[in-house]
This record gives sequence, structure tokens and C-alpha cells, in this order.
Amino acid sequence: MKYFGGCDAGSTYTKCVILDETGKIAAQVTGKSRINPVLSARAALDEAVAQVPDLESAEELAYLVGTGYGRNKVPFADENISEISCHAMGVHVTNPQVRAIIDIGGQDVKGIAVDTDGTVRDFAMNDKCAAGTGRFFETMANAFEMSLPEFSRLSLKAKNVIPITAQCTVFAESEVISLVGEGKPMEEIAAGIEMSVAKRCFVMAKKAGAVDSVALTGGCAKNEGLKDAIEKVLKIRVIELGTDPQLMGALGAAEYARQKGMNG
Amino acid sequence: MKDLVHIYELEKLLQDSCNDAVRQAKAQGQYAIGSVCAMIPEPLLNLDNCFSVRLRAPRTGSMEMGTYYMTSIMCECARALLERAIEGGYGYLDCIIAPDACAQMNRCVENIDKLGLIDKENFFVTYSDVPMKSDETALRHYVRQMRQYVLEPLNRNLGVDVSDEALRRAVEKQNQVNRLVMEIGEYRKEANPRITGYEFAVLCLSTFVCPKEYILPILEETLDELKRREPDKKNPCRARVVMVGSEIDDPDLIRLTEEAGALVAADCYCLGSFPERLEIQLADGEDVLTGICRHYMEKGQCPRFMNTEKIRERHEYVDALAREFHADGIIYQQIKFCDYWGYERAYAGEVMREQYGYPVLSVDRPYVAGGSGQLRTRVQAFVESIEIKKLNRKDK
Repeated sequence: MKYFGGCDAGSTYTKCVILDETGKIAAQVTGKSRINPVLSARAALDEAVAQVPDLESAEELAYLVGTGYGRNKVPFADENISEISCHAMGVHVTNPQVRAIIDIGGQDVKGIAVDTDGTVRDFAMNDKCAAGTGRFFETMANAFEMSLPEFSRLSLKAKNVIPITAQCTVFAESEVISLVGEGKPMEEIAAGIEMSVAKRCFVMAKKAGAVDSVALTGGCAKNEGLKDAIEKVLKIRVIELGTDPQLMGALGAAEYARQKGMNG
Repeated sequence: MKDLVHIYELEKLLQDSCNDAVRQAKAQGQYAIGSVCAMIPEPLLNLDNCFSVRLRAPRTGSMEMGTYYMTSIMCECARALLERAIEGGYGYLDCIIAPDACAQMNRCVENIDKLGLIDKENFFVTYSDVPMKSDETALRHYVRQMRQYVLEPLNRNLGVDVSDEALRRAVEKQNQVNRLVMEIGEYRKEANPRITGYEFAVLCLSTFVCPKEYILPILEETLDELKRREPDKKNPCRARVVMVGSEIDDPDLIRLTEEAGALVAADCYCLGSFPERLEIQLADGEDVLTGICRHYMEKGQCPRFMNTEKIRERHEYVDALAREFHADGIIYQQIKFCDYWGYERAYAGEVMREQYGYPVLSVDRPYVAGGSGQLRTRVQAFVESIEIKKLNRKDK
């Protein structure tokens, strides 16, 4: 049996997926990225390989594709493919009917329109600043002295939403601290933060050609509060993916590796 | 491929606005004429003992000082030029000949002038109107403006010979450069080109920033070298593109594009070869200045031209380039906050995609974009989508 790897060296998390010849996931790993993407990729790969009894080292993978911002730094990768193409393919493998994706990563937001074959039809990126990205949520959760899942659950309890006017991550943080200081309900502030990010996703969803549904990928896709806010703002359904949405880049990379390894 | 003999020298030349060639010419007593727009015909700035230099701000870092005078919602190119002027980077200039073409660039030049950033007794700045339409009325106005705000001030302030004879000599000198650039650019049509888009961009851009006498022998030698040059056996290019849009005065942007897999097979941007390096053909019986202005007006592809015929012509022009240079797709790029290209990019990108059927990547970018990881990701994703679709078509 041959195995194929995809390694997504993201700015905050490094993910790795290994597929077998049939396309079944044989291993999956998600780990916090270190300052050096080479070390992050190496560690994720080794951990994933350790989950596959037939493999002794990453060098035994028949084909390995690197993706993510550190894609050029994935050791032993046979080639690198952009995270845009990989997210599209990852979602296509999991849910072939999806045509529009919003990928909310650690440092940018992307809208991706997907063709019927899983290739990218069009895309748009917002990478001008950290507002609306995973980094933004991390900062806000820190301000609340909570973990991200706690922050997300808190926002779902809100009966009202307190709008956050600042777009900049730094200024939004000080606005939130002021609101907390004024004694405003924490869950309503949290819901306001989720809403502000959902609004930033609006443009990406439009550019991805989302009509009645959209799939969310990236670490922020696990944020139930954000999903709820996006459904309210965009008035469209957020599709539940069959696999961990944070793994979509690595899964797409592994699928490309499988296609290339099987055909080559 | 083996490096081109002159590539290092030219890369070094582009590292500074006041480069070795400029210093050499100044030491010989020549006048340095600063220019900021392709609509001021280059031969008018290369008359007699003058040489033109397109203002650039290589190795720009922060633009805080330029932003103070121009605000953060102005074109980054205009702000970077002002920043460089404040830093003292254009002290070698004898004048700046600016058009009333782009309000943001005008404001940059006005600031250079009003703040007295070029401390030279006889330094002067002129502004002239350039056409927004391409017709005979616009041409007459253009000619008057060029005479009044370019030729006469050069003659009055610097004693430059602006006779018809001098104009003809300047056109011929310009044409020698243009013909060589175009001949070199032809090699980009090859399936596995013997010159990269980056190398061509370095060569082409260099012709805008130093005296023509300096660059001519370099172009001639490079053309000879190319005739014998063998491309690498493995073609590194995965897709061929036409690069279209606002000013690119840093070849690193082309290098980034090519490193991401897209060979820049043809160019249609400000400071590129099309249409700026097309040969100027003067009609018999027409006044020389009128002939020069006619060339710049009729051949110009700047989105400042707003008549419907010119707008359509721009789409046809890019389509023709894409066909001629066998491009798979088109990249429309603009510097952030560029007024003209902001509209043109949005509209033309859609037209080229929907009506002409090209894959189009449309991006706005910072002035300094050569190291942008985000831009690299965009270009790579664009190349991949072209590549995969090509494979799928082949399979069918």
C-alpha cells in the first residue's frame, strides 16, 4: 500500500494528513506552529507518520505536497501547492457539492469559488490586516481571559448584540475593554465581536459566488458563534463538512499528492 | 541559463534613482530632466544635452513623511516619490516636467516644488495638460501644451536647442532604443524563451532611468548575446501571462510572478515595453512635434483616455498581445489607490474574463510588492488554476 502526505504549514497551526491509495485518511495531526516553519512541518509529519503502522519515516511517503504560508519550507515535499487550491480540493473531497468556501485562517481570509472538479474557479483574499482573522479572535479571547471555545460558547448565550465599531484588532481590543469596564454584558460584547467578523466575511462570500450556502474552512470554522453570526449576516446556510474544517488545506494537499503519486 | 553579461550592472543601476549613469552624465555637464508620466513624450526630454529620468523610489521603506503631506489614501507611488524627494534623493535634477494627468502625482510634484526639496538655483517645474481623448482637437491642444510647457521652458531656462532638427535627432535616438527593446522582447514568444520576463523587465526599465547613449551599447550587446543564448532544457514556466496595469518600477514584482510559476511573456504597463517602446513613426509632411504627439496620443494605452473607442481599444490591445505572445492568462495589477487603474482593472478584468474568455487575476498591491508572500500565494493559485484546467482540457 502506498501513502501520500499533505502538510499545511499555517501561520498559527501546522496540519498534516496522510491518505492511502483509496483516498482514506490514514493519519491526521494538528499542532501549534513554531516560529520556524521547517521545525513545525517536520514535527507534524513525524507525528502523522507515527500513526501509520506501515510507515517508518516521512521519506517512505510516495508523494508529499506542502501548502500554507510556509509551504516552501516543508522538508522532503515533492512540490508545493497554494493553500487556495488545496482548500478547494480538500472541501471537494469531503463535500463535492460545495461551490463556495470562506477560509478564515490565522492571518488572512479567503473567498474561494470551486468548480465541479474541485479546482479553483475564482478567489479573493483579504490579507491587508489582522481584523477578521484567527489572530483577531485570539486577541479578543485573551482580552476576555478565556479560551477560544469558551469565548465562542459565551457569544451563543447573547440575547442582544453590542456592535463593535473598531475594525483594527488593536483598537477593537481597547473598545472591548472599555465596554467590559462599563459593565456591559460579556456575552453581548462577544456576540458583537462574532458579528463584526461575520460582516467582514460578507465580501469574501460574495466574491466566492455564494448563493444559498457556503462552507467554512480554517481554524475559525470551529467557532460556533461565528457560524451562527455568518448565517444571520449572510442569510445563507453554513454547510457542515464531513471532516475537521481546519484540516482542509492539508487534506487537499494530500489528495493532490495522491493524484500525482498514483498517476506518476 | 547563464546570467546575461550586463544583468548585474543593470540591476545595480536600478537600485538608486541617482545611479552611476546619471552621475556620469551630470559630471559631463548634461541636464537631468525628471519625468513622472508616459504622456510627456520622451524625445522632448532628451533633446540636445538633456537626458530624461523617470522618477522612482527604489528600496522604499516607510512613507511616513510623504504620507504626512499627502494623506494615507493617496497612491503609494506618489507618496514614495515625495518621501524620496524629502530624503534628498532627487537633488541631481535640473527640472521636473509633469503633466496634469494624475492628480495624485501632481500633488507629489507640487509638494516637491513648494517645499523646496530640490535646492538648486535654476531648478524649475512645469505642468501641462495631456489628452483624455484621442482625436484631432485633442491633438492640437496636446501640441500647444507641449510647446508651451515643455519645449519653451527648456529653451528659456536651460538654453536647450528645441529646433525641428533637434527633435528629429531625439526621435531617432529614442527609436534606436525602442527597436532594440522590441527585438529583445520578441524572444519572449518562444515556447521555452531564452530570456525571462524578469530579465526583460530589468533591461526595459533601465532604458527609462539613464541617458540613451549609456544604455544603447548595452542593449546591442545583450541582443547579440541572446542570439546565441541557449535556454535551460527544462522550461520552468507553468503558465504564460500578460502583465497589465499601473506603473511597475521594480522588476522584483516580475521576479516574484515568475517564481510563482507564471512567465511574464508580454507586458502592457507603465514603464513596460508596450506601448512605450514602440517605434515612433513620423509622417511625411507633418510638423515634427505634431508627429511625436500623434504617436503618443494614438498609441497610448493609459486608462486616462476615456473615450469609448480607446476603452475598447485597450481590451483589443491586451487580447492581441495575449495571442501574439501565446499567453494563457492575464494579470491586471494596480498600485493601491491608483484612480485610473482602479476603474480600469475592475472593468477590463471582467471584460477580458467574460467576453474574451481569459483567466484573469486582478490584484491591487503596495508600491513595494517584490517580497509580498500574499501576492505570491495569489499568483501561484492563479497559475495552478490555469494549469489544472489545461490538463483537464487535454484529458477530455
